[in-house]
Amino acid sequence: MSHLTQEEFILNYYGELDSRAHLDLCDECRGELTRLAKILDQVKPAEVPEPDAGFEERVWNRVSWRLRGEKHRSRGRRATWMAAAAAMLAIAFLAGVFVTRRDTPGPQIATTTTTTQPNQPVQPAGSTTQQQRDRILLVVVGDHFDDSERVLVELTNLKPDGEIDISTERDRAEELLASNRLYRTTAEERGEENVATLLDELEPVLMQIAHAPSQVSADELRSMQKRVEAKGLVFKLRVVRAGVRSESKLPKQPTI
Amino acid sequence: MELTDNELVEKVRAGEDDAFRILVERHSRPIYRSAFRITGNAADADDVVQEAFLRCYRALASFDARATFPTWLNRIAINCALDLIDSRKRREGRIDGGEDLAQLASPDASPDRLLLGSEMQRAIAAAMAELTGNERTAFVLRHFEGMPLEEIGQILGTRLNATKNTVFRAVRKLRQQLQPFTGSLV
Repeated sequence: MSHLTQEEFILNYYGELDSRAHLDLCDECRGELTRLAKILDQVKPAEVPEPDAGFEERVWNRVSWRLRGEKHRSRGRRATWMAAAAAMLAIAFLAGVFVTRRDTPGPQIATTTTTTQPNQPVQPAGSTTQQQRDRILLVVVGDHFDDSERVLVELTNLKPDGEIDISTERDRAEELLASNRLYRTTAEERGEENVATLLDELEPVLMQIAHAPSQVSADELRSMQKRVEAKGLVFKLRVVRAGVRSESKLPKQPTI
Repeated sequence: MELTDNELVEKVRAGEDDAFRILVERHSRPIYRSAFRITGNAADADDVVQEAFLRCYRALASFDARATFPTWLNRIAINCALDLIDSRKRREGRIDGGEDLAQLASPDASPDRLLLGSEMQRAIAAAMAELTGNERTAFVLRHFEGMPLEEIGQILGTRLNATKNTVFRAVRKLRQQLQPFTGSLV
């Protein structure tokens, strides 16, 4: 007569297998099952401490807080992508104008030349395109500086007291950060040194705000405010923005 | 009249987050108990409850009422507990609170006293801590919750034979570890 395997003893103990017919006849297997049962019977679940009366509310508060955070981040990400897409479109437009004009065939230039009044200085097509591109870039960047200044001013005006909610500034900084990178690269390529330098200084500050938690301590807020003030960013933004605005409106002096 | 779980689920799906609050309040305690049995401590059980409800919310669209809501939620919680045990084991090599069995089973300790006393429970806790996440979960579900092996397999995502083997390994390990304490009985 073959005996039960160790696995069969376990299955018998848990009632997943019924070997009573064999066990009734086999003292050895019955003894082994008894030994196994004596050990497993000792393994009782640890007593579960009953949570306090406010348990359910605490769970809900934490769960709802995290769900709100997720929804908020998801909206923020969407807005960031939209901002980045808008910046990309502006840049793509600039690049498009540039490529189209550069590839303009000869006869068109000839037409332009023939319509030019004899006393007017001749303006090369490439130069006009450059001006258009620069002006569009300056308009877009001017708006970007406006928005950035607003975020920085709001942040520096917050009172460092207790836990401070900076979620609005943080989300706005997150949106601006994506565009900032694109504008900086474009400004560098276009040789707009002042604009590129300011965007470069702005980037780490926006990054610090964008990566901060929605609630910050007074010390954390002070550190952010100090950084903004130490760089004199708000002032620089105003100065450069004013220059950018006037430059984008004024017709450029034609070059020969 | 009190809304059923399924009615509340429908409301949450329709965007009424307050309905989810009722589900959380209704099922937090049973989930906590289940999580505690697997994780073995209150802080982890707390985390599991929170994580389970978050996963539950995200997965509500896939809840098709084939299982009851509490069963479905309990499965999510068990998986959360399993993930927590596994990640902790990976990080620390063993579960917190796991004590050295060799120390617990000192020759000075009388097996009879151990059997009846809290030290036996500590020994069991330590032996449980030696199990892998899957072994521990499968054992808890089979041994404490009386769940059939097939259902355990569905939760763990394993076939019946693999589930059986997991339980066998858990029992063998526990038996081996607890042998010094139950010597007088065996």
